[in-house]
Amino acid sequence: MSGEEIRIGVYVCHCGTNIAGTVDVEEVVRYASTLPNVVIARNYVFMCSEPGQQLIKEDIKKYNLNRVVVAACSPSLHELTFRNAVKEAGLNPYLFEMANIREHCSWAHPDRRKATEKAKDLIRMVVAKARELEPLEEIKIDVTKKALVIGGGVAGLRAALDLARSGFTVYLVEKRPTLGGHTARIPFIRYLGVRGDELISSIVKELVSMPNIKIYTNADVVSMEGGVGSFRVRIRVRPKYVDSKCNLCGECVKVCPVEVSNEYEYGVGTRKAIYLPYQTAYPQIYVIDPEVCTRCGECVKVCPTKAIDLDEKERYEDIEVGTVILATGYDPYEPEKGELGYGLSKKVITLFQLERLLDERGPTKGVLRIGDTEPRVIVFISCVGSMGTSPKAGSYCSRMCCSTMLSAALKIRDQLPGSYIYVIHKDIRTYGYDEELYWKALERDIRFVRYEELPEVKVSGDKIEVVVKDITIGEYISVPADLVVLVNGMAQGKYLREVLNVVRVSCGDEGFVKEAHVKLRPVDAASEGIYLAGSVTGPKSVIESIIHGSAAAARAATVLSKDHVFAEPIIAKVDEDLCSGCLVCVGMCPYNAISTKETDGRRIAFVNPVLCMGCGTCAAACPSGAMQQQGFKDKQVFAQIRAFAR
Amino acid sequence: MTEEYEPKILMIACNWCSYAAVDLAGTSRMRSPHNIRIIRVMCSGRVDPQMVLEAFVNGADGVIVAGCRLGDCHYIEGNYKTLRRMALLKKLLEQLGVEPERFRLEWISAADAKKYVEVANDMVEKLKKLGPLRISFEEISKLIEEVKHIE
Repeated sequence: MSGEEIRIGVYVCHCGTNIAGTVDVEEVVRYASTLPNVVIARNYVFMCSEPGQQLIKEDIKKYNLNRVVVAACSPSLHELTFRNAVKEAGLNPYLFEMANIREHCSWAHPDRRKATEKAKDLIRMVVAKARELEPLEEIKIDVTKKALVIGGGVAGLRAALDLARSGFTVYLVEKRPTLGGHTARIPFIRYLGVRGDELISSIVKELVSMPNIKIYTNADVVSMEGGVGSFRVRIRVRPKYVDSKCNLCGECVKVCPVEVSNEYEYGVGTRKAIYLPYQTAYPQIYVIDPEVCTRCGECVKVCPTKAIDLDEKERYEDIEVGTVILATGYDPYEPEKGELGYGLSKKVITLFQLERLLDERGPTKGVLRIGDTEPRVIVFISCVGSMGTSPKAGSYCSRMCCSTMLSAALKIRDQLPGSYIYVIHKDIRTYGYDEELYWKALERDIRFVRYEELPEVKVSGDKIEVVVKDITIGEYISVPADLVVLVNGMAQGKYLREVLNVVRVSCGDEGFVKEAHVKLRPVDAASEGIYLAGSVTGPKSVIESIIHGSAAAARAATVLSKDHVFAEPIIAKVDEDLCSGCLVCVGMCPYNAISTKETDGRRIAFVNPVLCMGCGTCAAACPSGAMQQQGFKDKQVFAQIRAFAR
Repeated sequence: MTEEYEPKILMIACNWCSYAAVDLAGTSRMRSPHNIRIIRVMCSGRVDPQMVLEAFVNGADGVIVAGCRLGDCHYIEGNYKTLRRMALLKKLLEQLGVEPERFRLEWISAADAKKYVEVANDMVEKLKKLGPLRISFEEISKLIEEVKHIE
């Protein structure tokens, strides 16, 4: 490439009126054509469209272009589109650069003159960088035809099942001792017409019958390196202290002296330190909770099959996979003690707890009692933890709570026909076919009261009073309640924070993982080869989670079905002549990708191209400029900076 | 009538968080000051202190280096390295007579478009009060040479 005349084509996109409505594209083009080495500058209504791309391809041939600059949207949207177009015209795709004049300019600055000036500056800077670009070869990576699914809830199970059915080896890692997640605790799933645990069991049954699936429960992912096509992952399997000899006799539970709140029933009822999560849990083995177990050894003495080993240690397993599906789900919003009376009285419960109480296979066999008495006045308060109703609440709608609340209210109406049921709501969002529930509730004398300011729940001894300003009459009303149900929404999964240290995905403000693009790449994480399934990206119903799980599996299969993938070559590379072997870079690398090698009797740095993830930290530290990040070389970034003001 | 002084600010932003936050600000149609020009790097760890000096030499009235929030770096710990380097650079800039308001190191998550707009507005406001950078380029150029030897 050296010595060859640099010929740049600049293409300014109107993006309909998104850019052209604010930026004077004609003027920008006139300006761009005056920049050194720019041979042709054009504007077009949609550069990303087929004719737009064709324009570039034709110009590359016609004008013998060897650099292309497109000024349009963010590179996160169409960098790949244009790279491919450039490649199809026979030019190296890395001789292309993008200037962001939409998100960073036309959408942000309504002033036409100022936006136009800024667009010119951004293009001048990118053209300066483009002059210094070099052709790069993509890194060929052999695809390990295996997938890792993190999270054994309904979305993760579905993703694992679809991939396993497609013939790929799947590792499924679940944090808890049992598969199924929150779905397994839902008494009835509308439209599917089944219980949550039945749905889970049917998926698990098929899954475990397949030879190409390996399930780890009570396990977590502790490290992950590499990238798309080849991730190296370490799994920690925590001890359950009970092995497969367990015959489910339950003798151990009888003698266990420790009793704690049962998280599988959302705190309704208790369990022992040794327990079976629930009747249909998979795997069907008792497990000891090491956090509360006192190691008294009583269970060991009574176990008839000698299945219990209190000295069992955690173990680690290293696996290699081509793709990763993150499906760690959500956790219910947990009201703080005192928030709307929560924790102050047994008469204030959450919707998740109510669902367990209404489950005919639940701890109360589905009979709703508070203490020993039938509640007569039941008050639901909706949007607890959602819709910004309190400082701690998310600003989003949790989607499922309104429908679940009304299903539960109708169930109570069947069970206790003489009861008074109030729904104190901010809004009712029974979307889609669930609207039917709302009309049924109205017909069946469930009373709706709308609030703007969050109601107050006054607990005094055994008495509970709910005070709310009904916005339709503009007056405060008071309801003496026997049962208050806080309709809590979905919040960030507790396990997600731990996973974020290992799996590089980023969260939005509300604590859910962000997709690479909501519309264009809805199940992709920002990092290649990592896909997202279920409510890890935000509140979803069971059905939506199943669809999402299938979608993530389909995306993962697009990688796994190939023998090779090509990774962006924007990695670090050493100029062997310049490197003095000081090895400052070695300590900088977060991936241990830099080692040393001997050349002509000298010790110099060496970058492993598969391990390098392309952050460029080593390049910034190299004192001699020997270490360079391809695509972001010193000369390229400095050229961009130098073009800043002129 | 003389036009109001408009400071020119260069922001070097990491691809995963801060650049995405500026994208989000645009997508959300938040109005942000037009004074800022952004250069994208993959990680704030790529930012060599020389780049910041080079920006001042080339007419920047202010420079922002932005990365993911500490602990959220896409490359595990790149931003910690940025933190260390930029701490040294800040001292250097002070000694050179560059007002501290002219250089900022910010951690902006991909979701925090609001923070970007706040940082940008705040910096523009402060730089308007300060006026253009008043030190000789030669002095800084000399300094760049020195920094090259230090690193």
